[in-house]
Amino acid sequence: MFKTNNKLKGKDLINVGIYSAISAVIIMVVAMLGYIPIFIPLLSVLGPLILGIPFMLFLTKVKKFGMILIMSIIMGLLMLLTGMGYYSLVVGVITGLIAEFIYRSGNYSSASKAVLTHGVYCIWIWGNFLPLFFDIEGYFATRQDYGQEYIDSLTALMPTWMCPVLLVACFVFGILGGLIGKAAVKKHFIKAGIV
Amino acid sequence: MNNRILQADVRNRGLVLDPRTKLLLLITMAVFVLGGAASSYFPFIVPCLCAVPLVLLILSKKFRSAALYAVVYSAVYAINILLADRLSGILYFLVLGTTGILTRFMPSVMMGIYVVSTTTVSEFTAAMQRMHVTEKIIIPLSVMFRLFPTIADEFSSINAAMRMRGISFGGKNWTKMLEYRLIPLMTCSVQIGSELSAAALTRGLGGEVKRTNVCNIGFHLQDIIAMLLCALPYVGLILGWFGVKLI
Repeated sequence: MFKTNNKLKGKDLINVGIYSAISAVIIMVVAMLGYIPIFIPLLSVLGPLILGIPFMLFLTKVKKFGMILIMSIIMGLLMLLTGMGYYSLVVGVITGLIAEFIYRSGNYSSASKAVLTHGVYCIWIWGNFLPLFFDIEGYFATRQDYGQEYIDSLTALMPTWMCPVLLVACFVFGILGGLIGKAAVKKHFIKAGIV
Repeated sequence: MNNRILQADVRNRGLVLDPRTKLLLLITMAVFVLGGAASSYFPFIVPCLCAVPLVLLILSKKFRSAALYAVVYSAVYAINILLADRLSGILYFLVLGTTGILTRFMPSVMMGIYVVSTTTVSEFTAAMQRMHVTEKIIIPLSVMFRLFPTIADEFSSINAAMRMRGISFGGKNWTKMLEYRLIPLMTCSVQIGSELSAAALTRGLGGEVKRTNVCNIGFHLQDIIAMLLCALPYVGLILGWFGVKLI
């Protein structure tokens, strides 16, 4: 069975762990900005842009089915543990699977498919916004201690039509982040012999 | 950054809880303190849960973290109560927001520090195996567990090096901040990672046979007490859904 070499080995899983840890640290730092209301919708721009660099480097290590999906699930679990709700876990499983298939269709080496993969993968960030649209009363009932002005400005920033806009933003800036990441990988890591 | 607080010291750690109990405590904190699930039914639950990390830190002999937590949390809480009503405008917004965010995040962060600083990677792996989690999740998670302190350490070193070169907020090369911090961080993480996977392979990770583990984990009296404590808010929450008011 292990002659086919398609099973995930320890080394692959360790790689998933390393890049998930880097992404988690980055996303936590970025999410701290979300305290200022204007930055909440902007998280769907900044997150994918910055995550692009570690993710594109991660994709150079991906050669087997399942690694992107596992990373997506782990990010969802982290969001669950940090109190962002289970939405990003659900979204992450679906988009992780789609991203996995996209990258596989390029034989795990196509650069343009890699950029597209990052765009789809980044949609899990959108999952964090879903409670704002589906359950706005419940969302703010738990955030009374941020003050009424925070709630007012956030509600004004988040009308219902923002929901698809944020989804598209995650995707588009995911692709942009992928391009930046690709450039960074080319500039720094290929030259240094890391990839 | 003092990195030593994040590493487990096996010999001298006072009360030992099972990693599964710690995980349950962490989830409970995330649901009720960070998520604020039950705050509308019974508001007194949040301060009660906030005391849990303090007690646990003292019991596991982390006196410095415990003292720091107690002082900062009570100071912030006092400011929130005393000052919030007397201010107005932008100052009110700032003070209320800062204290609100600190009181919300600090208990869970301290709980996280407690869990990470008192659990070894082996114990964590053993607990996950007992819970029949698939190895495909266990290995990445335990690698993350192992890497968080390392990344924090590397990041502070890179930060210091870059500040020396004027690549920081207010420095003359601040436009390069992101690139010049992320890239070295990732280069050294990749290096550490390949060393780590070599070390793990020599210990038989990813082999075909089932791995054994020397860690003795299991539920004891203290675990049962902690679990019963965790069950209380959930029971209250479910009763609240059915319209029963406890207070």
